[in-house]
Amino acid sequence: MVQINLPKDSEIKKGKYFKDKTGSKNLRKVNIYRWDPSTGENPRIDSYEVDMDNCPSKVLDILNKIKNEIDPTLAYRRSCAHGVCGSCAMNMGGKNGLACTKPHEEIDGDIDIYPLPHLKVKKDLIGDLDGLYKQYQSIEPWLKNNSKSETNEIIQSKEDRAKLDGAYECIMCACCSTSCPSYWWNGDKYLGPAVLLQAYRWIVDSRDEERNARLKKVADELKLYRCHTIMNCTSACPKGLNPAKAIAEIKKMLATANI
Amino acid sequence: MENKRPLSPHIQIYRWHVSSLVSISHRITGIINIIAITLICLWVSLIFINQNNHEIINLFLSSKIGKFIILGLTWSFSFQILSEIRHLIMDLGYGFELKTSKITGLLVMFGSLILTVIFYIIGKNLI
Repeated sequence: MVQINLPKDSEIKKGKYFKDKTGSKNLRKVNIYRWDPSTGENPRIDSYEVDMDNCPSKVLDILNKIKNEIDPTLAYRRSCAHGVCGSCAMNMGGKNGLACTKPHEEIDGDIDIYPLPHLKVKKDLIGDLDGLYKQYQSIEPWLKNNSKSETNEIIQSKEDRAKLDGAYECIMCACCSTSCPSYWWNGDKYLGPAVLLQAYRWIVDSRDEERNARLKKVADELKLYRCHTIMNCTSACPKGLNPAKAIAEIKKMLATANI
Repeated sequence: MENKRPLSPHIQIYRWHVSSLVSISHRITGIINIIAITLICLWVSLIFINQNNHEIINLFLSSKIGKFIILGLTWSFSFQILSEIRHLIMDLGYGFELKTSKITGLLVMFGSLILTVIFYIIGKNLI
């Protein structure tokens, strides 16, 4: 259901203010969403003054700097730092993206950092993505081919292989799904852009023999047709993919195919 | 423990852009238009019942609030028409590139204002 306001226990309170101690002239204020599961208190926004003279270019660098030099209690996920693993997906300056590829120069004014929207928060910037992974599992993201042989190659033409471009690059960072208002209100049933893009990836794979069964599976008022082409997903994707278009292609296939 | 986890903020913090604004406006104008059409049907049936009703409604519509409502509805229908065309094109699988969707969204926004003026002038000259 559409719920505009946050529940009472999720309302955000004002938090601590960490004043700059380096004496730098080039400061930026960074506001970060904090929630500590051990206290039972509401989430809060902590503000940090960060010395930008000694900080590399990405938002993740700011977070590392804060954790290393100002406040070691800050919790966030990160791993590769090169936009490949998808761990550091979060909401920066009102838009989802990967902290490791998002230049902080692109954000005007104070830098506001929140966890991915409309998730149960585990701690600070870490959201619970279990629901999304379960949905990913439900589309059975693996090749289904009835070929008996385990040694013969399944040949794919260059043209058929090209159909997977723009779909296979997805790193499942969840930036798109958690940017989608439809997914916020109906995330328990609507599969969301990330999972539907993957569903599309297996539907168009020429080597897969379960195409019709896959199509039938997503052909559902809530699973698929909750997409209203708001385009938040495409504008959020840090890899430049287009989940909205993939969803439209699935809808088109269902409208034209005989299943 | 599980239940105590707070929900991260969503619509409160997410930045709006052209496409999301057009989408939400499409829904709002859609609801307004359905109510408007119902009221227009009611208005027409009232005229059938008694001619005096026509005078009363006419008086209301020539007031300042009435004129605002007429202009507002003209806009909301104009917006709905253009936005629906945009969505139909998207249903055919076109216009999903970020730049294109931004341009078509802006076209819908400004086009609806122009269309409002055109409809209003045509309507005024007809009556």
